[in-house]
Amino acid sequence: MSVLHVVFKVDGAEYVLPASDVLQMESFSGATPVPGAPAHVAGLVQVRGRVIPVVDARRRFGLPALERSLDTRVVVGQLGTRTVGLLVDSAREVLKLDPAKFQPPPPLVVEGSRGFVKAVAQVGPRLVMLIDFPRVIGEEAPDGDGKR
Amino acid sequence: MTASVDLADFLPAYLAEVEELLDSAHRQLMAVEASARRGAAHPKSVRELFRALHTIKGLSAMVDVEPIVSISHWMETSLRQADQAGGRLPESSVEPLMEGLRAVEQRMRQLAAGKDASPVPPGLLERLEALGVSSPVVASTARPSALLLDETLALAPRLTPTEREQLTSGAGHRRPVRVDFIPGAERAARGITINSVRERLAALGELVKVVPVAGPAPGGGSLTFVLLLSTDASDAVLKEAAGGEPAQVRALSTAPSAVDGPSVPEREPELEEEPEEGRRSSGTLRVEVSRLDEALERLAALVVNRSRLQRAVVDLTAVGAPTRELRAILQENGRQLRDMRAAILRLRMVRVGDVLERLPLLVRGLRRTTGKAVRLELEVGDAELDKAVADRMLPALVHLVRNAVDHALESPEERRAAGKPPEGRVRLGCHANSSGWVDITVADDGRGVDAGAVARRAGVPVPRGPDDLLELLCRPGFSTREEVTSTSGRGMGMDIVRRIVVDQLGGELRLETRVGEGTTFHLRVPLTITLLDAIIFECAGLRYAVAVGSVEELIEVEAARVVRPAGAHGVALVERRGQSVTLVSLARLLGSASAQAVDATPPRGLVVRQRGELVAFGVDRLLGQQEIVLRPLEDPLVRVPGVAGATDLGDGQPTLVLDLNALGAARRPGSGGREERAT
Repeated sequence: MSVLHVVFKVDGAEYVLPASDVLQMESFSGATPVPGAPAHVAGLVQVRGRVIPVVDARRRFGLPALERSLDTRVVVGQLGTRTVGLLVDSAREVLKLDPAKFQPPPPLVVEGSRGFVKAVAQVGPRLVMLIDFPRVIGEEAPDGDGKR
Repeated sequence: MTASVDLADFLPAYLAEVEELLDSAHRQLMAVEASARRGAAHPKSVRELFRALHTIKGLSAMVDVEPIVSISHWMETSLRQADQAGGRLPESSVEPLMEGLRAVEQRMRQLAAGKDASPVPPGLLERLEALGVSSPVVASTARPSALLLDETLALAPRLTPTEREQLTSGAGHRRPVRVDFIPGAERAARGITINSVRERLAALGELVKVVPVAGPAPGGGSLTFVLLLSTDASDAVLKEAAGGEPAQVRALSTAPSAVDGPSVPEREPELEEEPEEGRRSSGTLRVEVSRLDEALERLAALVVNRSRLQRAVVDLTAVGAPTRELRAILQENGRQLRDMRAAILRLRMVRVGDVLERLPLLVRGLRRTTGKAVRLELEVGDAELDKAVADRMLPALVHLVRNAVDHALESPEERRAAGKPPEGRVRLGCHANSSGWVDITVADDGRGVDAGAVARRAGVPVPRGPDDLLELLCRPGFSTREEVTSTSGRGMGMDIVRRIVVDQLGGELRLETRVGEGTTFHLRVPLTITLLDAIIFECAGLRYAVAVGSVEELIEVEAARVVRPAGAHGVALVERRGQSVTLVSLARLLGSASAQAVDATPPRGLVVRQRGELVAFGVDRLLGQQEIVLRPLEDPLVRVPGVAGATDLGDGQPTLVLDLNALGAARRPGSGGREERAT
């Protein structure tokens, strides 16, 4: 039994999220910075009338910033009652993945991804990484960031 | 002239009251029409309608709005006849009466906008007057009580049985007397006003009632105050007390007598039990929204005060003082403040049903202009909405209902051909869910939206799902008018609907449609919103808003007069009316400034009082002042001190609403900002 997943790219690597956790994908035309928010928060965007925070995946993963382009997307995710966007390099694909195919990430990935990757799966020649969305978004209070 | 100044003071109250009466009049007229269509009488509504118009006439005469006095007078006249016919109003009379109400309403709006009421539209009075003559009065159906209405019209609604008793059973030599006082500018100049006359007459006997009566009065006025009193003073004394000519004094007798005058009983009124009295004391109070806002503001000040107290207690605890009880009290206090806030917010709630009461009128109008048969079903129950939300929602709902009737519903012939009942149905449902949202649906059983036709019109591929279709319909300026109306028939002004529901209120809008079966719009809006009068300004290239009330003053900062104490990290001093004020660069506080921006002196300052001390926040440019909808930021990622929330200034980008007070306190170097941010 396979489940739909949304695929997005950050710095050349491919990540996935279960489509059921994703509300929509939006193009990105800049966020309103929020002074005092954690560093990985790009700011606020308005998505169909809702004001939501957007987390910059590159900043979160400790990657160099990238000039935003036409491909830049905000993956709007639902996390319980919270709605939070994730700013990624691109997102244009939906894949059917069998949950049984997911494997625990190799140690090197665990280390490199700071625990943001929950599992990996091989899809043909590609390796996709299932991200731990709550962890990436950060449930912690604003200034607890990076200290846990 | 003092008189007119006084009237200007009364205008807001007058407008509010007439508006309410108009609403009631509309409702009653709709009820009368419904009965008339079945050929039935509706004496209660006719009478209510009559009363509403009569009161409008009286009020309008008091503030001297001649056109409304005339219109309501003739409407009243035709209704009196209907009442005498046992509450039977011919269906043909409804339209001119509607027209009359519309004319009154139009003039109300002119007055509200500070303009003069325009003259009565040509022909209206004649049409209304003709109603009285042409209406077939069936004498046999006239009930005895019908006469009462006519007689008591001026006094009955206000004269209670007790007052009547007071008037007629005066002790000793007292007799009931009616004094007519006609106010005027010349008399006012001599100090003879209704108030002074009232006082003087009250000294001469028992003053039971003062009733203003509209209509031409001797001496060229259009208003007469009828003072009813029980007195033993002579007519001459009374007349003198009322300022002499053109005042009139007449004895009232319990037997019929020849008292004439405008709209005044010719006989001792026989008073029936007045349901009106019950309504007036029904425990409802009309309050200006601004007063509720004021209460809320005061409460906000209390909350700020409480957090200061809390900080003080934390400090005390830190040095080892026994604060256990203090802390318990503080906690209780916090709960009480929250309850208080909830209670005040509840005061602002209005019933959705009340907000929508004009929709039947709208549909009625559409029925006439489109020639379609429509039934409007309102299923709104007891749902309530914040007044501010309701006021914003109404235009969106009007739009949707209008669209449904105008475009979605087919003509009766088309419907019959499609095997549907000839009468189309528009249903508006509403219910509050538990999580602070209200769900509203506007459903029709019309032709549905033809996605293909909409796509052709927009020149795009056929949308895949209802969301994409709605997106298309909501494109600004998208219209399905003219060629596409007959097939798709929707979309006019949908961008406005979405702008209100989604952008302004932060709600949701969904569409469900089936070709041939109908369309349903699902709306979800928050129960309450917070409105703010805000100053919009620019700082380091970004726009921000701040509540007007939190800013003491806006100042211009002259670079030459700024003093920078050594080692003060961007904090400077400016002079303001001989006093030095701390100037903080807001860009620096927000951490958004580039190095040179910190050094440059910001040209404008927002002066805020912070813990008793004035602080000026330097900004780049002031952009203006406007009312904004404050959306609190609920996600913990962005809940930071100094940011009260976000708003949409119309560009689709969130604009931060700052709380300068909290921002300064949280970011002040070495002021314990770290702990505050952690809370």
